[in-house]
Amino acid sequence: MANLDKQLDAALDLMRRLPPQKAEKNLSDCIDLVPELCEDLLASVDQPLRILKDSQTGKDYLLCDYNRDGDSYRSPWSNTYDPPLSDGAIPSDQLRDLEINANAAIDSYREMYYEGGISSVYLWDLDHGFAGAILIKKVGDLSTKIKGCWDSIHVIEVQEKSGGRNAHYKLTSTIMLWLQTSKAASGTMNLGGNLTRQVEKDSPLNESNSHIANIGRLIEEMENKMRNTLNEIYFGKTKDIVNDLRSMIPLSDVSKQQQIAEELRAKLGNNQ
Amino acid sequence: MSDTEDQINDEEKAAIVHGFINHAPPGEVDDVIRDSRILLNDDNTFKDGIVEALSKYQQSQFMPVNVDDENAVLLTAHGLQDNGRFIDPATGKSFRFDFSKKSCVDIEDGSVDNGDAESWRSEIDAAISEYVKEYYPAGVSTVYGAQDGGDILITACIEDHKYSPENFWNGKWRSEWKITISGNSATVAGVLKTQVHYYEDGNVQLVSQKECKDEVSSVSSEKQLAEAVRKLVEKFEHEYQAGVFDNYNNMSTTTFKALRRQLPVTRTKIDWNKILGYQIGKEIGGK
Repeated sequence: MANLDKQLDAALDLMRRLPPQKAEKNLSDCIDLVPELCEDLLASVDQPLRILKDSQTGKDYLLCDYNRDGDSYRSPWSNTYDPPLSDGAIPSDQLRDLEINANAAIDSYREMYYEGGISSVYLWDLDHGFAGAILIKKVGDLSTKIKGCWDSIHVIEVQEKSGGRNAHYKLTSTIMLWLQTSKAASGTMNLGGNLTRQVEKDSPLNESNSHIANIGRLIEEMENKMRNTLNEIYFGKTKDIVNDLRSMIPLSDVSKQQQIAEELRAKLGNNQ
Repeated sequence: MSDTEDQINDEEKAAIVHGFINHAPPGEVDDVIRDSRILLNDDNTFKDGIVEALSKYQQSQFMPVNVDDENAVLLTAHGLQDNGRFIDPATGKSFRFDFSKKSCVDIEDGSVDNGDAESWRSEIDAAISEYVKEYYPAGVSTVYGAQDGGDILITACIEDHKYSPENFWNGKWRSEWKITISGNSATVAGVLKTQVHYYEDGNVQLVSQKECKDEVSSVSSEKQLAEAVRKLVEKFEHEYQAGVFDNYNNMSTTTFKALRRQLPVTRTKIDWNKILGYQIGKEIGGK
């Protein structure tokens, strides 16, 4: 009989192999097979971010496991649940103040880099610090022939040290990127999925290094790095693999070219 | 969340497992089967129908197998007979495939009769084989011939794959071409499929498909048709691959850029102290 840990590992491995384009169905199938893993799976498997509108403020917010309580979701703008809950989990008053400022800061960050889209920040208390989920979603212009969507899911763990003069930050970031086209020459082309990276850092805590500044810098650096990696993998690596499957020019020409290149190299080598 | 009413029955669980297998990326069905077995945690339900599911999957994947030391053939639905044996129209052999041993067994010679279709099939087979050698580094093709009423139906299947699990990626190309010869004209219809999976610290997949069709208006001989088919296949597959690369270019230079900039318009990274000051200023001003 398999134990739950082994089953969780198997489910996570499966989620890395099944087409990410069907992530929601894959996850619900895994949960159907092992219902006891439901909470663990919902907490550890990232899903494309869904959107709800906060009826009080009219602003959109993003949904994830961290602002969910039962079947309700908490809005970072009004700090209330939809559908309403009388006793839904909310951050402490002090943390809620930080959460309001964090949302404002990330909102500006989002505007500067994404020029549109939606962001949400959710914080929760830990024993010696706090944790947070920073989410960003940007959907490409729907009128063009190529559809794209970007989802950022950052989870940060903050441990305060040295009487509040230092803090240890651990950031786990998942970026989901989806691109689809339907053009005559290439038929349907669906390129999608996600990458995950982690980073840990110690930073001082003072006037010019507040939690929001420290976390913001970590996220900015991580997203910039991952944007480059996404570019390399999506548009470089996967394209190279297609090229490995079928050659655009006859293979006999390819080997002729390689032969000529080698002869040139040998000649140039001899002349030095 | 532990209502037994919410739980699904064994049949539904088996269906889920078969669905997982059906969607396994190229080169990874063994991993998907291993994971599914652990999740299902019930070897009786697991064994029921697993071989059929795996066989169906490998047929749709055009799995190349060695029918003898010199010849590779593709496992496809076109080659599956009612008695569960697969045929290789080129060598005339038939066989069973043992999925646990991963080899052809019970091989019999001289068990394939393509009838009137054979003269057309063998010419097209020769032309496609030569074409595959020209463009596919490790490609394998299998060409079937059958009679369909007064028409001749030739089905040409091409497969190439590259597996690199140690580098966390796998890829596969499949094309399926149906040539229907009716009187002295023929239609050529193709379905082209590419799939790539990259999974180092993530899960990125390319899934792409294209359908194409054309006519050969006057067919004078088997050899002439084979040449015409080869030209069409080469043209369409080249167009498709060029279209895919074109899309890659557009995706990266236009769509991706429009999702998130490399840097803000200011061309510098954000000053996080300014952002906070601005926001606090807004708060005070707003109150």
